[in-house]
Amino acid sequence: MAEKHKPAPMVDEVSEFEILELAVRELAIEKGLFSADDHRRWSEYMETVGPLPAARLVAKAWLDPEFKKLAVSDGVKASLEVGIDWINDMPSNFGTPSDYCNLRVLEDTPKLKHVVVCTLCSCYPRPILGQSPEWYRTPNYRRRIVRWPRQVLAEFGLQLPEDVEVRVEDSNQKSRFIVLPMRPEGTDGWTEEQLTEIVTRDCLIGVAMPHPDRKADDMRPVHPAVNPVKHP
Amino acid sequence: MSKSHHAEKATGIGDPQCFKGEAGPPKFKVGDKVRIKDLPDIFYTRCQMYTRGTPATVAEIVYESPAAEDEAWDNTEQVEWFYSLVFKQRDLWPEYPDAYTNDTVETELSERWLEPA
Repeated sequence: MAEKHKPAPMVDEVSEFEILELAVRELAIEKGLFSADDHRRWSEYMETVGPLPAARLVAKAWLDPEFKKLAVSDGVKASLEVGIDWINDMPSNFGTPSDYCNLRVLEDTPKLKHVVVCTLCSCYPRPILGQSPEWYRTPNYRRRIVRWPRQVLAEFGLQLPEDVEVRVEDSNQKSRFIVLPMRPEGTDGWTEEQLTEIVTRDCLIGVAMPHPDRKADDMRPVHPAVNPVKHP
Repeated sequence: MSKSHHAEKATGIGDPQCFKGEAGPPKFKVGDKVRIKDLPDIFYTRCQMYTRGTPATVAEIVYESPAAEDEAWDNTEQVEWFYSLVFKQRDLWPEYPDAYTNDTVETELSERWLEPA
């Protein structure tokens, strides 16, 4: 009888990289490089980091030309004004969450649009943007954006005129990048708070442009299933 | 336990900031035309295959650091200048559409990968 009521086996997809990470982590703990507790604290810390500081940095740059100059010339120094200390923040004190500390802020102009990728792995300015979205790490995005940028951007809903230079920034060394997009029309007189709300993570990676009607925390549309499950 | 050179050298300073002043004068300047060498890379590299043999323009001299190819093995004696390089898409991919000749790719490489073009 008991056999009959066994729950169906759970099917968990575990990728090779997850197994590799687990193995390396366990070895490092055994070797004493860090403790399991260090790892837990580090993971919890990382989960608190998101793209909001970078959104605020962009909003500040839109409002203050002097701050924009600083952001473009010294991203690490400009980050201090939005509460991110690349050099001294916990937990590592030498490049937060395992990243290097050279932030470059790429300024879009009416004739130049930047988009960021890491074709070799998944380098991402995590101290100021948090964890990268899943698609950013996929081989699909990494292989195609560098070679067919306009087609890939169109898939994100971003179509750019011929006379705009699309510049793909391939983040392959110790610099990390965020995009400083153009301030959209229809935002005259807006406060820093209001402007911060429309700078979404995708705008900061460069696959979207800010729009006055689209906020980072907007509700996403829920589409009905094409073949919904029928319950008896 | 001995710490990695990052922890010893970069704490409170930052990496690559901690290598500042160690590379000597840079060999190239902003605006220089260079070509990416096709060096052997049996063990580790961060020089993308698609850049090899392609001309580029120096857009910015960014920082000093040991090259990733050395640092991967904890060899940090040879500190090099890193350059931000801009490639024309047409130079990288011959089939890139004619309509978008202005499109570019920007990436960073250390001095060992560059020769005058």
